[in-house]
Amino acid sequence: MMKIKSFLTMSMVAVALVFGMSSCGDDDKDEPEAPVANQVVGSYTGTEVLTVMGEADESTETFEFTKATDVSVDVTLPQYGEGMMTVPALPVKGITLTKSGNTITGKLDKYEGTVISADGSEKAYTVSDVTVIFNDKTVVMTFTQKYGNMPFAFEGVFTGTKK
Amino acid sequence: MKLFGSAILLFMPAMGLSAQGIRDSVELEPVVVTASHTPKTLKDAPVVTRLITLHDIKIVDATNIQDMLTQEIPGLEFGFAMTQETSLNMSGFGGNAVLFLLDGERLSGETMDNTDYSRLNLDNVGRIEIVKGASSALYGSNAVGGVVNIISRENLEPWTANANTRYNTFGNEWRNGASFSFNTEKWNSQTSFQHTKIDPVDLPKAHTSEEIAIELMKKAQGLPYDESVLSDDSNISRLFGQKTYNIKERLTFRATDRLTLIGRGGYFFRTSERDTYDYHFHAYSGGLKSRYAWDAGRHLELSYAYDQYDKANFLPDGTRTHDHDYSNQQHVAHALYSHSFGKNNLILGADYMHDYLTTYQFLDNASHAQDNIDGYAQFDWNITDRLNVVGSIRYDYFSASARKAFTERLAVVYKIPWMTLRVNYASGFRAPTLKEMYMHFDMGNMGYMIIGNPDLEPEKSHNFNLAVERTNRIRNSGFLDGRYNFTLMGYCNIFDKRITTIEGPEYNGMESALYWNEEGITVWGIDASLGHIWDCGASFKLNYSWMKETGNVYYSDFYQPRSHSLTWRIGYEHRFSRLYALDAALSGRCQGKPQSGRTDVDQGYTIWKLMLQHHLWRGIRLNTAIDNLFNYKPKSYYYSSPLTTGTSFNIGLSVDLDQLL
Repeated sequence: MMKIKSFLTMSMVAVALVFGMSSCGDDDKDEPEAPVANQVVGSYTGTEVLTVMGEADESTETFEFTKATDVSVDVTLPQYGEGMMTVPALPVKGITLTKSGNTITGKLDKYEGTVISADGSEKAYTVSDVTVIFNDKTVVMTFTQKYGNMPFAFEGVFTGTKK
Repeated sequence: MKLFGSAILLFMPAMGLSAQGIRDSVELEPVVVTASHTPKTLKDAPVVTRLITLHDIKIVDATNIQDMLTQEIPGLEFGFAMTQETSLNMSGFGGNAVLFLLDGERLSGETMDNTDYSRLNLDNVGRIEIVKGASSALYGSNAVGGVVNIISRENLEPWTANANTRYNTFGNEWRNGASFSFNTEKWNSQTSFQHTKIDPVDLPKAHTSEEIAIELMKKAQGLPYDESVLSDDSNISRLFGQKTYNIKERLTFRATDRLTLIGRGGYFFRTSERDTYDYHFHAYSGGLKSRYAWDAGRHLELSYAYDQYDKANFLPDGTRTHDHDYSNQQHVAHALYSHSFGKNNLILGADYMHDYLTTYQFLDNASHAQDNIDGYAQFDWNITDRLNVVGSIRYDYFSASARKAFTERLAVVYKIPWMTLRVNYASGFRAPTLKEMYMHFDMGNMGYMIIGNPDLEPEKSHNFNLAVERTNRIRNSGFLDGRYNFTLMGYCNIFDKRITTIEGPEYNGMESALYWNEEGITVWGIDASLGHIWDCGASFKLNYSWMKETGNVYYSDFYQPRSHSLTWRIGYEHRFSRLYALDAALSGRCQGKPQSGRTDVDQGYTIWKLMLQHHLWRGIRLNTAIDNLFNYKPKSYYYSSPLTTGTSFNIGLSVDLDQLL
């Protein structure tokens, strides 16, 4: 009886070890982590502050980050102003992402593009000095945008959370 | 201070040298023309005149007028206008209230109320004369706060040829130039060419965008964060790169002993490489002048001058956008008769100017023009050897506004054995420009209109100044033996009907700004200058300026005048052998805190520059300089920050081919 009990105990330990180890093995097995871009894409809503010549203008905006490659995202800066005093939405492409711990940081030195302005003409623009930091569901973004013949640049800051 | 002490010690072995530029202005009684329209020695000029000599220009190795004046004139500062074009502030007056002349001729065109100073390169310039205060009785509109007259050099050798190049580490700037002249009994020709190129310069921010983003993230997550990182007050993050080309020719023909004919022409091109577009600037100038002298005391000058300044924008692919086309063309005819009566002199003059402007800032890119007619008279009365009175009166009429302006000046110079006393009253005016009268511009296509006002009146100023000057020699006192010059001037400039913009009426649903005559300001100031040349050759010059504005004073991001400013130069030159001579200068400028009381930017700054000019074999010169010697870096870059990111280095070579061959 004792032998049977010991045997069962040993068997259970063995089974437990086997299944346990199997279990441990399953836990340790590297599921391919989602590409870093997939981890941050989405809509973030929050506060955008645009500063020009020391004057700051604050508004609630939604920034949509879309996947460009596995390690880069695009974003469109929202339209600013009204009527003829409008800076159209400005696409910014190719923000390169790197991950460190729970933080994903995006950088882009300069993006140059053209858009159609409110009066129908094509305007050149640049967005430079872009830094984006994603942490959990929060994003912050800093950038400098220059539109058309505007003689001055807008310094932009966005702080938002993912829907 | 240790570095300063070391620099002084560096110079000590070279005591026994002379600083030619300071010597010129203190000792050699150079001739100036700007204060009275006639040649007078500096000590006899009816109004205090600041002279920058050829030697000053050479030792400073300045590329253009901006480089030169920044280092030499206290109370004068170049900053940025909104478009990052250069903007001047001279003792409380902006660029449109200081008249810049090139050999006595105006320059057309402006950007944000300032002349394109890069047109005023210093290749082939002989001297620069600066008269502070109003001078409209001689020069008409714009001579409200002062006149800067850049006067070309006239080589009298049979021929000269020079080639020069300079590299500056700031923006990897290159400057290349060449000049050629010949002189015969009948003909004199001066030709010069200069090309400059500077790369864009990224100005360091107090904090990187990543540092700011990190603190923002901490703030968003409710963690402790550094607020100071989030309050970076920099207005400018990048200086645009640019290239310039400037070519000038002046041909003089001495037809007879009495008749001289002068023809001149010039072309200037600048491209400014912006973020979104390239800005192109072209200037064309030309003129003919005749001078007929009956005798030494009587002559007549007749001249015609043309100046055109164009602007246009181009896409990076070279396509002209045509949405920023601008052209200002000015035709000017002068007549001047000068008649001496013994020691006294009478000048009678008249001018006609046709001013044409077409610009994207007018409705439908329209054009406007106006004519300006003036007449003036000046009598220079030497009552005794000690007492000189100069009186001037002028009438101007502007067709577009149908406005007229009377201006006058009375200057008294009294010499006593140990001092010269100058008392001066002068009025000044600035006529509204075509831009200010007819602008109809949606600023940057942003739906904010700027609207001109055809009913504007001319700005007016009344300038009073009192100056004492002493120039003397010290003998047999040991260390101080030499010559010195001391000038102290106090002034008051009452400036009224200042043209500015106020909030205008709503225009098609857009906000607007309207040009308007505002109540003015009164500028009070003191300028002091001290120069000393030791017999052993060392020299020192110190210039100080204090200024205070009262009345309807306003400040903006672009206008931050300073109450106190100082410039100085310690110089020497010494020939060590037939093959080598050294010309050295240690200069500096100190700008006090902004008068506005603004505290979010540096409360003043000091920048030193060490210049060494090595005269080598047969007209070969090697120029070296260390600018911003003590590595000053602005806390943040705003529109009145000095253009520096720290210490920079120059090295240049100049070869006088006529001496080499």
